[in-house]
Parts: sequence; C-alpha cells; structure tokens
Amino acid sequence: MTDRLSRIPRSIMAALLLPAAALALAATQKAPPPPWWSPGEGRTFPAQIDYRNDSGTLRSLLVGGPLPTKGHPFFEPIGSNGRACVTCHQPADGMSLSAATAAERWDVTKGKDPLFAAIDGSNCPILPQGDRASHSLLIERGLFRIQRPWPVKEWQGKPVTPDFTIDVVRDPNGCNSAPGYGPAAGNISIYRRPRPVSNFKYLLAVGFAYDPKQGIALPRDPDGHGQSSGNLMADNRAANLRLQMEDAAASHLQLIGKLTPKQEAAINDFEMRLYTAQQASALGGALDSAGASGGPAKLRDSEPGALGSIGTPVWSEYAAWEKIPPEEAAKLTSEQLAFRKSVARGARVFRDKTFLITDSSGINSPAGFGNPVRNSCVFCHNMSQMGNDVAPGQVDLGTTTLPFADPWADLPLFRITCLKAPHPFYGRTFFTYDPGFALSTGRCADVGKITLQSLRGLAARAPYFSNGLAKNLRGIVDYYERRYNIGYTEQEKQDLVNLMSVL
Amino acid sequence: MKKLSFLLALAAPLSAQAAETGDLLRFVACPVYRDADSGKKSGCWLADDVAVGIRYDVSLSPYKPDWNRAVLVEGRLSGAAETACGAKVMDPVRASVLPEACQRHMLPAEGYPGRKFVLPKRNVDPASIVRKAPEGPFAERTFVLFFEFDRSFVVYQYSDYLLDKAVTWLAAAKPKKVVVTGFAASDPETVSGHSIAERAEVARERAELVTESIHRMLPDLVIETRSETGAKPADLPDADGIPGQSQRRVEIRALF
Ligand code: HEC
Ligand code: HEC
Repeated sequence: MTDRLSRIPRSIMAALLLPAAALALAATQKAPPPPWWSPGEGRTFPAQIDYRNDSGTLRSLLVGGPLPTKGHPFFEPIGSNGRACVTCHQPADGMSLSAATAAERWDVTKGKDPLFAAIDGSNCPILPQGDRASHSLLIERGLFRIQRPWPVKEWQGKPVTPDFTIDVVRDPNGCNSAPGYGPAAGNISIYRRPRPVSNFKYLLAVGFAYDPKQGIALPRDPDGHGQSSGNLMADNRAANLRLQMEDAAASHLQLIGKLTPKQEAAINDFEMRLYTAQQASALGGALDSAGASGGPAKLRDSEPGALGSIGTPVWSEYAAWEKIPPEEAAKLTSEQLAFRKSVARGARVFRDKTFLITDSSGINSPAGFGNPVRNSCVFCHNMSQMGNDVAPGQVDLGTTTLPFADPWADLPLFRITCLKAPHPFYGRTFFTYDPGFALSTGRCADVGKITLQSLRGLAARAPYFSNGLAKNLRGIVDYYERRYNIGYTEQEKQDLVNLMSVL
Repeated sequence: MKKLSFLLALAAPLSAQAAETGDLLRFVACPVYRDADSGKKSGCWLADDVAVGIRYDVSLSPYKPDWNRAVLVEGRLSGAAETACGAKVMDPVRASVLPEACQRHMLPAEGYPGRKFVLPKRNVDPASIVRKAPEGPFAERTFVLFFEFDRSFVVYQYSDYLLDKAVTWLAAAKPKKVVVTGFAASDPETVSGHSIAERAEVARERAELVTESIHRMLPDLVIETRSETGAKPADLPDADGIPGQSQRRVEIRALF
C-alpha cells in the first residue's frame, strides 16, 4: 500500500498540481487513509478524494458533499460473506478493482479477505479455497466468476427461446461441468472484470430513442423512468441500477433476502452522485490546466448523452494542448510539454485515424454500415466526455471469441452452434470464452458482443476489456492493431496510450 | 424508353442492353469493396451486373453490403460522373445482403477518393431535441417504413427517421387506434438467375418489431398488428422510386 503511495516522488506531484489541489493533496498526505476500503469501516467519503496511480492522480467528486458511510449499504457488509459493494468497486481503483490490488490483498491477508469468497472470488467454489492457485483468475487478471442461468428464459420481460446451443469444450476450473455447474445443470460460468461504478449520469443517458444496432426503439425502463440506455453490464442483463444492485447483492454479497427500498435508494444516491476521472498526470501535470478540462469536474458539469460527431468532439477536453502558447509552455518542463502535446495528438488519433472495421457484429451487421466500414476509435466510443457508446453499446470486438481472442488455457471454452441462421461472421459453429450479450437475448447473432464501458479512470484499473485481455494501456492499442490491422505508427500508439492515461 | 424499361424491370431482369440515366436496374452480385479513403464511412461499394458486364457504384445505399455475401442491387442509374469510385453511379440505390457466400474481395483506392461522409437527409434528431408538435386537425393517415430484403431491422438513418416522424405525429394526434401492417415480397422472382423471395414470416416479424417500437415510445396507444404476404410495388415517396423497396414495407395507419 505505502509502496503505491510513494511511487511518484512528491516533488513531481507538487509541481503537477494547481495550488489549491496541491494543498488539498498535501492535507491528505499528512495522514493518508489506506487506499483499500474494507467493508463496514465507517469512514466518511469526502466530497473530493484523490488517489495516486502509476500515471498520476485519480480524483472522485461526490456531488452534494461528504457521505458518512457508516450504515450505508454500499459500504457495509450487508450480505453473508463479509463483502460490501466497495470491496470490488474501490475508490483508488477508479471504482473498479485492479488485478494488482487483488494480488496485494491476497498477500496482505494471506487470502483471508472476503474479496476471495468462494462464490465468485475463486476460479470455482469446488476448488480448495486456501490455495492461491484456486484464485488465479482474480489475482492475475482481476476476473470474477459470473454465473448466469442457461438456457435463458426471459429478456426484457418477454419469453425467450435461444436459437443456439452451448457445449463445454474445455473446463479448467470445474464450474461448467462439476455436479450442479454448467449448461447441463442449467447455468454457465464466465469470468469478467468489475465495471467502474461512477459517472452513471452518462451510462444511463438516452441520446437517441432508437437503437441502431438492434433496429428497434429503446426499451422502457422497468421502473417507469423513460427509456433504458442499454449500457449497463457486459451482457446488459440489468436494465437499470435497481436490477443491477439486486443482482449484485444476491450474487457477489450472498445476501439472503432482498435489499430494502431504503437500501436501494441509498445505493442509487451514492452511485448517481459520484464522478471519477484522472485529475493529474505524473508526466504532464494538472489535467485541467492551460485550457485543458480533464478531471471529474467537467463530467459533473456537462450534459450527458451527446454524440461527439455532431457536438462536442470526444476528448476535446485536451484540444487546448494542441497549441500551447509560449508563455504557458515556459512554465512547463520539456517533458511536460512533450507529454501534453502527445495527449492532444492522441485525442486526434482516437477521432481521426481511420481503419477498416471488419466482421464486428453490432457494427458491421445488421446496422447497415457495411462490412467493412472505415472509421476510427470514436465510431464506437462516441459519447462526448465519456467515450462510451451513445447507443446501447453491444459490439463484438472479438475480445472473447475465437479466432480474435487470445488463446487462454485457464478460461473455459464453449462451442456455439447456431440453430437457425448462422452467425453473420463466425458461421454455424464457433468458439467463445464468453457469449456476452447472447446470454441475455438468446440470439446467436449476439454471441461475443460486450457492452462498451466508460473510458474514464483507466489508469487506475488495469487490466482492460471485460475478460482482462489487455494487461495495460499499451495492450489495448496492441489488441486493436492486430484485430483490425490498423497500421498505427509507434508515435501514434504512444499518443493513444498517453491519452488513455489521462482519462 | 425510360417507361419501357421500368415496366420490363418489374416483370423480368433488364436485358443485355446499355442502361440509360434513370433506368431501373435490379441484379444479384458479389460486392467488391474499394478501399477509398476520404475519412470515416468513405469507402466504395461496387457490384457487377454479370449479365451486361458493367460495374456499378452502389455506395449510396442506406444499407450497405457485406463483402462475405451476395447482394441484391436495386436502383437507378444516376448519370453522375464516375469520379468518386470509378464505376457507374446508382442513385437512388439499395443493396440488400443475401445469405449466399461470396469470395471476399477488396480493391485498392487506385486514385479514387470515395465520398466524404455527409449526414443523410433522413437522420433522427437526438432525444434531447424537442420535436415540433404537428398541428391538427388530425384525420386518418398512413406512415410507411422500408426494409432490407428479407429483414425486419428498422434501417438506421432511413426507416428510424420515418418511424420517428410517425411516432411524433401519433403522440400529438392521439388516434383511437393504430393498425400496423407488415408486408413481405414473398412471391418468387428470378433475378440474375437466382430465384429470390422474402420469407412469408418476415411480414409478421416486421409488423411485430414496429409495433414493439411504437409501443415503447407510446405505451398507451392501442395497436393492432397485421401482416400481408405477396406484397406488390406501390408508389410511395420514401421508397425513392424503387419498386422492390416499396414492396418491403410496414404501414402504420392511424384511425380516429
Ligand atoms: C465480488 C465483486 C463485486 C461486488 C462485491 C460487487 N460488484 Fe458490482 N460488479 C462486479 C462485476 C464483476 C461487474 C461486471 C459484471 C458483468 O459485466 O457481467 C460489476 C458491475 C457493476 C455495475 C455495472 C456498471 C456498468 O457500467 O455496467 C454496477 C452498477 C455495480 N457493479 C454495482 C454494484 C453494487 C451496488 C454492489 C453491491 C450491492 C456491487 N456492485 C458489488 C463485481 C462486484
Ligand atoms: C467496433 C467498435 C469499437 C471500436 C472501433 C473501438 N472500440 Fe474500444 N471497445 C469496444 C467494445 C465493444 C469494448 C468492450 C469490449 C470488452 O470489454 O471485451 C471496448 C473497450 C475498450 C476499452 C476498455 C475499457 C475497459 O474498461 O476495459 C478501451 C480502453 C478502448 N475500447 C479503447 C479503444 C481505442 C483506443 C480504440 C481505437 C483504436 C477503440 N477502442 C476502438 C468497441 C470499439
């Protein structure tokens, strides 16, 4: 822990921050509370909280002021396994949980932390729980086991009969074939990263009333709050935050019984008040200086749900750094100046460097864009300020499905057989580690689609993609490069990495 | 000549004669992608009518080809210069993806720029933009949406726009009931030697999906869903003068 706090020399940190921010940080440095939030500690969640990471400082803002977490259901171990929501959604980790933090917790607690609960904090509950190896997917890749019913019977309130079958090809951990587990027993286990619990104003925003990927109007929110954005969970199984927290409480917390309406309101209140983004860069300084507007304040203050291509361009927060006036430049070291220029170029590369997007269902089929279609990162990551998808973001990048996914011996592998029309790109039978959206819809054409995440706070929460395929920010760029044969120059790759490090 | 070929094309494929501007063309082909690059969505879609040995530029279709599959091309020769993609331009045009597999083929740009993307005329406003409420008095009216061959997907930046117009009007007009009728062009036709017909079920699928969309937007509206197979071409402005497109439709009829 202390090691993480001291990774960046204080002198650099002080130089990076605006005076006010520097003071705030100095104040917290006197007695820095440990970054790890244990369930039920009863700390107060301040209106502003900063955490360091390898790339700089991450900041969360809690609109409406400090929250005493004593008795608060997001922070209390309200279930039966000693965990709270905060166990897997840690403020220092961008409200997700990095694999490095999981490994640290294993070492610090010798595996006794409730984080490693057998239910989903181990590769499978049938394995010997005292062995580190039984938790390797969490410790090495930050993955939790997600068990979903199979075959799925209902989607968006309507009965579903899946048009594909799932066979288990390989089951290294037992949770898809041991007694009581796997498709033959009425369920399927896949392994996924925790998605960040912050900036929900954006993830819930409805930019357009129609879903261009499904060719239908967005569904109505089951609780009567307009339409659902369709942007929650890798497989979009939860239509809103209430359904999500009920799912989380029953599975991750092993809550017996149900959340009370009061608890649900308290969790919702916290989730909707929180904004999180990188605030300062170890290499480039304060991210809201010299005309730039990085950091969570911009997220708090902007209207959500806007399409960058017809309004505020995505990552134009850093447009001012394209041309830094000489008097501003004079205040920076040459490294800082170079880094800022690189970030600004990275934003341009993200928006403007086009490549052929191929065989990615959700985009290349059936939306009518064509296969291939020339576009850039911002085609899918199109929401101003956030970089998630304005439309429901279920797209198959290939991260979980062969041949595009990396070969991994420690994940279960499934054979998918489409019973009606073959999959538009994979054919009648193919292999996947996680059918994604299809586990919700029951449609073969949706196998491999994963909902786009928020792109904020990335620096704090490696590894990336729903199955942790990319170890670090460079790993993300490398995946896209090999998936779409983009032809980025070394400079462009570094510019993208630098950009992602300041989101 | 124009009239004649229009009639001919309804009955049978165009014979092997050189087409003139405005002529209706309909053929099945394996598409070729030309990697022209004028930024996002600027690449070219080409398709050869093998019966006459002519290559057409079908890039302006609201739904574009998949380089792995055959396409049904329908539209008119526009007479525009071939400068963008290096082939005869069809506009208006439709390119429906068919199930038949094709050899994937990509041509380099070869100096052609493609077309810089412009937002199509038919594009839906963001939800945040308040729609101008249509003014009454309201009387019986029919709205029509159009589909890709054998699909029930409400086409982005085409039919979603038409649907949005219908929903905005229905919200203001508050009809007693709405009848949504899905049509399928289910009578087999021979095009480029392929016998093609839409599945009869697609009529119902279209009607149900459009009904569901309207229901999601206007939950209190009373909607009756019907379907008709063996659809015939109709003179409908948003089908852009393409008879095949006019057959693949859903009608939304408001009754008072
Ligand atoms: C054991 C770890 C763990 C615990 C405890 C946990 N979560 Fe999560 N959370 C996850 C994982 C993993 C996902 C992603 C699941 C998926 O995509 O299928 C997730 C996703 C979410 C999301 C969706 C975010 C998005 O953008 O899609 C929300 C909201 C959320 N969790 C809230 C909660 C709440 C509230 C609690 C407590 C009731 C909670 N979580 C407890 C692991 C956890
Ligand atoms: C075809 C649509 C598409 C394009 C283009 C695209 N992405 Fe993504 N992106 C996705 C999807 C879908 C996911 C979620 C996949 C997953 O988690 O397995 C994702 C996830 C990510 C993530 C991971 C976020 C996290 O929380 O783990 C990052 C970062 C990212 N993309 C960056 C980029 C960059 C950089 C580019 C350009 C090189 C790009 N994307 C282009 C669809 C796209």
